[in-house]
Amino acid sequence: MGKAKVIDDPAIAILYTREPSGIRGSHVKAVVFPEEEKDVSLILKTAYKYNVPIYPQGSSTSLSGNSVPLEPGIVVSMERMNRVLEINIVDNYVVVEPGVRMEDLNAELAKYRYMFPVDPASSSVATIGGAINNGAGGLRGAKYGTMRDWLLAVRLGIADEEGSILNLGCYTVKCRSGYDLARLIVGSEGTLGIVTRAVLRITPLPEDTVYALSFFDSLEDLMEAFIEIRRSRLNPFMLEFMDSATVDYASKSLDLPYEPKGNLFLVGIETSPESNQRILDTLTSLLESHGAHTIITAHGDKEAHDKKLFAVRKNLFTGQARYTLEKEGSSGRIMVMIEDIVVPPSKVPEAVTLIRGLGEKYGFTVFIGGHIGDGNLHPAVGFNAEDEEERKRVEQWFHEVMEIALKLGGSISAEHGIGLLKKQGLRMELEYKNSLKALQLMKEIKKAFDPKGLLNPGKVL
Amino acid sequence: MNDPRARIIETAGKCLYCGFCEALCPTRPLGPHRGYGPRGRVNIAYMLAKGDVEASNHVVESLYSCLLCRACELKCPIALPIAEIIRNARGLVAEPGLKASRTHSINRVQVFARRT
Amino acid sequence: MLDVRSILRILADNIKRTGLPVPGDQGLLTSWSTGLGLSEKGDTILYTGGLYQLLPYIEEFAEYLEKLEGGKAGGLLLKAAGRLGRLANLSKIVVRPSREKLEYSRQVLVSIVELLRRAGVEIAYPGGVDSYSGVLLYDMGLDTVFVEHARRVAQKLESVGAETIVTVDPHTTHVLRKVFPQYVEGFAPIVKSYIEVLAENIDKLQFKQGDAGRVVIHDPCFYARYENIIDEPRQLLRRAGYTVVEPRRSGRMTYCCGGPVESIAPRLSRRIAETRARELDEAGGGTIVTLCPICYSNLRRAYRGLGIERDIQDLSILLYRRLGP
Repeated sequence: MGKAKVIDDPAIAILYTREPSGIRGSHVKAVVFPEEEKDVSLILKTAYKYNVPIYPQGSSTSLSGNSVPLEPGIVVSMERMNRVLEINIVDNYVVVEPGVRMEDLNAELAKYRYMFPVDPASSSVATIGGAINNGAGGLRGAKYGTMRDWLLAVRLGIADEEGSILNLGCYTVKCRSGYDLARLIVGSEGTLGIVTRAVLRITPLPEDTVYALSFFDSLEDLMEAFIEIRRSRLNPFMLEFMDSATVDYASKSLDLPYEPKGNLFLVGIETSPESNQRILDTLTSLLESHGAHTIITAHGDKEAHDKKLFAVRKNLFTGQARYTLEKEGSSGRIMVMIEDIVVPPSKVPEAVTLIRGLGEKYGFTVFIGGHIGDGNLHPAVGFNAEDEEERKRVEQWFHEVMEIALKLGGSISAEHGIGLLKKQGLRMELEYKNSLKALQLMKEIKKAFDPKGLLNPGKVL
Repeated sequence: MNDPRARIIETAGKCLYCGFCEALCPTRPLGPHRGYGPRGRVNIAYMLAKGDVEASNHVVESLYSCLLCRACELKCPIALPIAEIIRNARGLVAEPGLKASRTHSINRVQVFARRT
Repeated sequence: MLDVRSILRILADNIKRTGLPVPGDQGLLTSWSTGLGLSEKGDTILYTGGLYQLLPYIEEFAEYLEKLEGGKAGGLLLKAAGRLGRLANLSKIVVRPSREKLEYSRQVLVSIVELLRRAGVEIAYPGGVDSYSGVLLYDMGLDTVFVEHARRVAQKLESVGAETIVTVDPHTTHVLRKVFPQYVEGFAPIVKSYIEVLAENIDKLQFKQGDAGRVVIHDPCFYARYENIIDEPRQLLRRAGYTVVEPRRSGRMTYCCGGPVESIAPRLSRRIAETRARELDEAGGGTIVTLCPICYSNLRRAYRGLGIERDIQDLSILLYRRLGP
């Protein structure tokens, strides 16, 4: 492959053993940087021949230990394969290499007034390859779904004698070529193969948008407003929620043109110039009639940014991190563990109440925020990373939050994946659904793709 | 001034590894590895200050490819002084390097002078 | 990437020998002021820190080093030159900047002085006090050499007992205002960029009437993110009749010109500069305005490399042109 594509300096290699969850992997012998597909093929072929475990990585922004290496092996970083190869407006797809960052893709597409709508909070650095393998979602999930709704096809390298590259899926939306192996890769977390190229659906940017940021004293009122919006035909693409305690922390140190008090509810709806005002009026009166005490509206993304409608929501992680830093003092390393459950949207009110109660039981300050439009909640707890005892308690809390999700007919992970953190959770969910045999099927599938178990071993299953 | 080494350990040790800083870094998308981004540099600075890694060529390149432009700091959720960390870490590389070379260069210059 | 340690040695050695980052003498810094009739003493003094004057030399020097690093043998040569930092030959060969570049630097400084005068600011220029600020030493982590140098510079500055020191570029502004006080005990004069001083006295400035056209502003990182000087240049340009066009990334969100790593990672620097040059070009304005000699030179070179014809001017030149009779 050439010397420039391999780095074995431990100072650099260690940068590829970590992720924001605080989970740290073990040291690796080297990091390999394929620059074209044939490099990937060669890596897989060589790994197969010499039984070397390999850990494919995008930008390591995952949150469940999905891509950290676990045993001596090599990390395969896809960062240098970062070209947008084709933008096809007529056929509504793009072809990209896996290392393209999601926001960079959208910057390209914006030139054509198009977009790739999946937008995880980390989209400024998260790569397409990582998003596919993690089954990423984001703020627009309520209307646009997740990666599985937007992936058309992949070229996938597998670990066999040749390092074969397979074309899975089609360039078209309609595609019935046997089992849907392309979408099997979505959420497979690098355990089946290495994506060397992806074909993704794209969609026009909305003609116009309107937003309403509102605050409610009563959580129940907010939830009723939310249910009412679900009942209406407004079809928002964004429905964000934060509870009042979380709003207090997250808005600290922010300079805002409004007073952030109470439970936060942010609604975004795609409109047209003709429908703007009508939809905004409907939305405002709906929020008012349910007891919102503050409503700030905006027309278009720019105005929404200028009026700082997203500021508090965007500051969720920051608020959590700073709160934990303050609480844990200035010494030592802190960690923020972010849960990722999903329930049917109608069950969100119940889930929030139960999660609040659970936090009190543990004595944790739980930050509760989420993309409630699709039922996805991200309760989070920050703590001192060096405190083993506390860490165990947080893991136990994680477990109980997952139980809440299952009881309400939801799932233990919406968009962050299984990785290391939720392996037990996955088993619990399948048991709960009386389908433990599915785990066996998954293991068989893994074996069929990767008979020697070399790809991201120890994850998911 | 505080001891730069202690200051690096105190600040860089807090990095959450979220990587948001990488989005704004001009050198990250153009560099060959994570050491060309703020997340990498901050963690390299930390390891260097702790004595966990040596000032290898990769380490030196990582620290000295930084523009000190502070774009990254706009995105850091815990407001780390990233440019300060990197500048201080440069000191850990540059200062001993210079001391070592000073005696060395004097000797060499004398040799050189004698020859000419 | 060039051999960093060699460059550090050369830099430290140059400073120790001449007080400048490149081979040369004090005359480089002060010759621009000849014939301007600037007084030597006053409460408000101009301290250029030499970045505008030295940049053409730094550039030439960097290009020379890059050539040295070119071939395999060249790389060794650079390392050898680094070890033999005092090698006299090195200083003789390198520095021959073009007359045009030197003249531009002179014009910038002359314009700044005239602008300050027209704004009613009584500005003195004790030429003997002007010296290189040492900012490069600081940025490179050469703290010991920097502190020695900074003390000497501070001593000179303090010797004239000025209340306010006016600077002309973002790097010198920052190092003098925020860094010197941390390293030089008791150093506490008021430090202001000429842009701030002009903005404070904006009503005294008489500009020509009429539309001066569109200009695209490129904020330097050190003004925008270190010193929060963002509105002032815009106010001045508008007052002078220009329409200020913002590029995609501007103000606090500005994007670096790539200049700071020019002498260490020239290829990386060039690619960053090209990215920014394209972005500024696409902003849909006319002339590009820079506020820093490093940005000016790096972006200018990037346009040349890209084959894009685009007028690029220092803020002071654009403001000077619009001064009324």
